[in-house]
Amino acid sequence: MTESRSRVGQSEPPILAFDGVVKRYGPLQALSGVSFQVNRGEVVCLIGPSGSGKSTLLRCANALETIEGGRVVFEGIDLAEKETNVRKLRQRMGMVFQNFELFPHLTVLRNVTIGLTTVLGMAREPAEVRAMELLRKVGLVDKATKHPAALSGGQQQRVAIARALAMEPDVMLFDEPTSALDPETIGEVLSVMKRLADEGMTMVVVTHEMDFARRVANWVVVFDKGQVIEEGPPKQIFESAAVPRTRDFLSHLGWHGEDRIEGAQV
Amino acid sequence: MKFEWSVIWDHSDQFLVGAEMTILLTVLTMALAIPGGLILAFLRLAPVRLVNVAATAFVEFFRATPLILQVYWVFYVLPATFDIEFSAFSTGLLALALNVSSFNSETFRAGILSIRRGQVHAGLAIGMSYPQVMRHIVLPQAIMRVLPALASTWVSLFKDTSLVSTIAVMELSYVSLQIRAQTYRILEVLTAMAALYWLMGYPQAKLVDWVHRRFKVAE
Repeated sequence: MTESRSRVGQSEPPILAFDGVVKRYGPLQALSGVSFQVNRGEVVCLIGPSGSGKSTLLRCANALETIEGGRVVFEGIDLAEKETNVRKLRQRMGMVFQNFELFPHLTVLRNVTIGLTTVLGMAREPAEVRAMELLRKVGLVDKATKHPAALSGGQQQRVAIARALAMEPDVMLFDEPTSALDPETIGEVLSVMKRLADEGMTMVVVTHEMDFARRVANWVVVFDKGQVIEEGPPKQIFESAAVPRTRDFLSHLGWHGEDRIEGAQV
Repeated sequence: MKFEWSVIWDHSDQFLVGAEMTILLTVLTMALAIPGGLILAFLRLAPVRLVNVAATAFVEFFRATPLILQVYWVFYVLPATFDIEFSAFSTGLLALALNVSSFNSETFRAGILSIRRGQVHAGLAIGMSYPQVMRHIVLPQAIMRVLPALASTWVSLFKDTSLVSTIAVMELSYVSLQIRAQTYRILEVLTAMAALYWLMGYPQAKLVDWVHRRFKVAE
């Protein structure tokens, strides 16, 4: 068993900071004042019940959603400032979606190169060289000429990771990357993510994979009803959560401390 | 009753010219109505209220009135009101193109709206601008998805070109009816006209069936 990790990179300002973020959908308050920080090189896992605002927050992180209150600051830049070039910032944030959202009309290779050629204006050949490297990294070189529909869910999600990595982002945002997957393909996606984390990629991961959160995260943020109810290093959250609702949530998932769960998760 | 099929052979040149004109009208109308439909679809989806109200009114007018009325309208009202004179051919083409653009705009709009929001998000998330997302992500998928509907419109259009015979565009219907008037061989001429339409229309209909099978929505 790997020892639980804890925060890193605290000597410099956070790469991504949420400060009292408020998001409403009509009368529904999806986020009511969410604050936490992500430091460079960290893996921060967001956990909590469905509908607690984790995914919404992730979409606010790269301005796919506008916020009604608070601030999202990425590399020192407030996303909501008028002069902020949101497109430039998004290029430095890779995003991986629950439903993959690969472009079904394009080949796997083109899915990975399209950002490079259309957004960065890279020529086709060097873009393809970089894309093939990334496909090698996620173990899908042999699928380069296929269309997404010919791939399994796990393979599609690995392509989606390669697509996001192609832009050489400073941070990767994962929105429940394994929730839509068959159980047998979850592992291959998690291991790609684990490898990324080991390489030092900054990652924000919304997940229900508690084993991943416990082993890979430096920091765990617990959401409930649009608020952060607790945050801390994984060891603390999973073994001695201070907030009763955190313990309730974890026990609902069948988490009763690591001894009883070992081998049962994932 | 005795058939005089020789009438048809004697006028075969005219029939062929008429058939050519029918095809030309169909092709040119569609060539105008695809960009026209796309532009109208974008105007209807535009976030500016005035723009999309105007585009909606335009589309709903052309969808809800008979094509023959539109043909007459363009033929008589437009020149009188705006002091511009078109040839019969241009008039017919314009009326058809406006009409089919309206239908196409609804088709394109439905196609664009059928693409999941997540696809737009995925494009934006890698740093694309909204127009780039439209061009590279949404439109290619939307057009594939609406190809069967466009193909059906095509076949309707092919037959509807006959309506511009009312303003003396020399397409197949007009030519046939003229030959009928000259020869009084009503049955032979109408039969030949039907045969010609069918010979051209049937392969198109089969092609449309194939397009429907080939591009059936599958995800």
